[in-house]
Amino acid sequence: MQGKSLELARRVLRLRYWQLLINEDLKQKLFVVPVHCAIGHEAIAIAVSDSMGPLDQLVLSHRNLAYNLARADGLDGIRDEFLHRGAGLCHGHLGSMNLVNRARGIVYSSSILGNNIPVACGFALAKQVRGLGGVVIVLTGDGAMEEGPFYEGLVFAKSHNLSLVIVVENNNQSMASTISERRCSISLADLCRSLAIPFATLSGNDVMDYTVEVKRLAERATDASTPVCLEVHLAALNQHAGPTPGWPTDPKTISIDNGLTVEPTTSDPVFVLRRQLGPDLFDELIREVTPGPAQSSRA
Amino acid sequence: MPDYITAVNQLIVDHASRMAGAVLYGENIKSGSRISGLTKNLRAPQAGRILNVGNCESTHCGVGFGLMMAGVPAILFVKQLDFMLLGIDHFVSTYNVVRSHPHLDDLGSFTIITIVCDQGWQGPQSSFNALGDLCSLARVPGYSITNAQDTRHVLERQLPSPGFRIIALSQRLFSTEFLEPPLVYAAHDSSVFQYTAGDDVTIACFNFAFPQGQILSDKLAACGITADLFSINAVVNPDWTRIVESVARTKRIVLIDDTKGARTGCDELLRSLALPVCGHDAIVVTRPADIPLGVCPDSLDIDYERLIAQLGRPNIRGRVTT
Repeated sequence: MQGKSLELARRVLRLRYWQLLINEDLKQKLFVVPVHCAIGHEAIAIAVSDSMGPLDQLVLSHRNLAYNLARADGLDGIRDEFLHRGAGLCHGHLGSMNLVNRARGIVYSSSILGNNIPVACGFALAKQVRGLGGVVIVLTGDGAMEEGPFYEGLVFAKSHNLSLVIVVENNNQSMASTISERRCSISLADLCRSLAIPFATLSGNDVMDYTVEVKRLAERATDASTPVCLEVHLAALNQHAGPTPGWPTDPKTISIDNGLTVEPTTSDPVFVLRRQLGPDLFDELIREVTPGPAQSSRA
Repeated sequence: MPDYITAVNQLIVDHASRMAGAVLYGENIKSGSRISGLTKNLRAPQAGRILNVGNCESTHCGVGFGLMMAGVPAILFVKQLDFMLLGIDHFVSTYNVVRSHPHLDDLGSFTIITIVCDQGWQGPQSSFNALGDLCSLARVPGYSITNAQDTRHVLERQLPSPGFRIIALSQRLFSTEFLEPPLVYAAHDSSVFQYTAGDDVTIACFNFAFPQGQILSDKLAACGITADLFSINAVVNPDWTRIVESVARTKRIVLIDDTKGARTGCDELLRSLALPVCGHDAIVVTRPADIPLGVCPDSLDIDYERLIAQLGRPNIRGRVTT
């Protein structure tokens, strides 16, 4: 493994490290705003961020932490935002669930399930009307796709030939409910086929494969002037929103003291990386992305 | 003199054509009756688009905010105000995020132009004549348009301005004469208009009640009673200053409000007047509290002779329902 792949691996590990630091802050109840960690979502977040060119725009959901961190230059601006400080990324005005970073292409985040799909259609329509290049990528999930605006958005985007990449993070979780606990099965593939929307699926948390696929889909959306839909099967290892007192499986068990790997399965992108890199290179990269001897040893 | 819908349509077509780069969209805006004539002859402005869109009103509202945040001006045309109930999530959630944008002047202009079904024959489901209630959810700027003066002012000032607003027409007025009353005063924010000046009584019209107010003013003038006649067209935060000054002088006010909402603009004005004109007289003309919501005539019919007789008495305080 070398070059680009190593850099992607570094970014996944740094993102995991930053999320674990945020998780520790959550456990200390430092933040005044609710924060939805996305521990386990790092591979797709890095892949999406890596695929973005200067003209691309990203529209996020309430669980936007992994994407915002992936596009950020450091942790401080986001942490300050959660602390409601003027030095925050959005001067403390937007908090966590609506966090944006316009300078890095993150133009809107919504805490309302399904709300961001129509807004993303508006951004994509604006590009089309103005003849601007680039693609709009919108993040949604297996919970939000139950909302009416998800279907409406697909219909609108297809009807008006919008270059839109719809990333459905299927973590089989909507707050405390799994899919089977709350609804019937929905075949996104069939739904997209019925609307002539290209569809793809990813699983396994291989950041290199993910990056290639997201880029391919973004190019297809742009070249063919069409929405495309990507369903990514993954797990939110921190459950709903990080340390939540009284949660059935208390995610306080996630501790930065146990290292960056949270779960020894392919549900954990860091575990997948360790298997791909081998233990020596894996440890070397961890030392690179976790500054300071204390933090390095913890990680 | 053209009728209301013909004249409003011509003004909208004229103003929209000047919005370079704008997206004009809505259901049936390029087909059939063009929303009962609202979008007749509408064309894409230079470098802009006109889009006939499907039946997904919630999405249309979200699309407008996306265009707005991307700096593209947009007008969404909607056949009925009650369709906009499906867009409330965006009026509240999305608009709240938009308003926190650090550079509001960089945003596009997003306007929804819609029709209030206030003639009463649609049945219970479309009996939604409460623009003020809808807009109050998130302090959305909303404007009713009732005549040539307020229509021109609202379209000229609001359509090109960055930001979001809803402009509403009255279906009840569609086939009526498009009134062009002489204008005494217009607030810079299109919230309050004054059409006559007098010393004896202040008349304040809300929602789409300007025609009733004008009739009352004319009838009073025939009796030798002169009125300050106002129409309050903004449903959120209108500038009451001029009306407060008027009532301080005339010492009596008639408020006419044809909305079906429980939270009426005239009640807000009365609260604003409470301190400055405490003890002065007011007649409030509204719909009854047990307002029928079924299929029935929806016009706010006023017994003008009774009202004028009431105004002739020393103490006029009271509430009149129609």
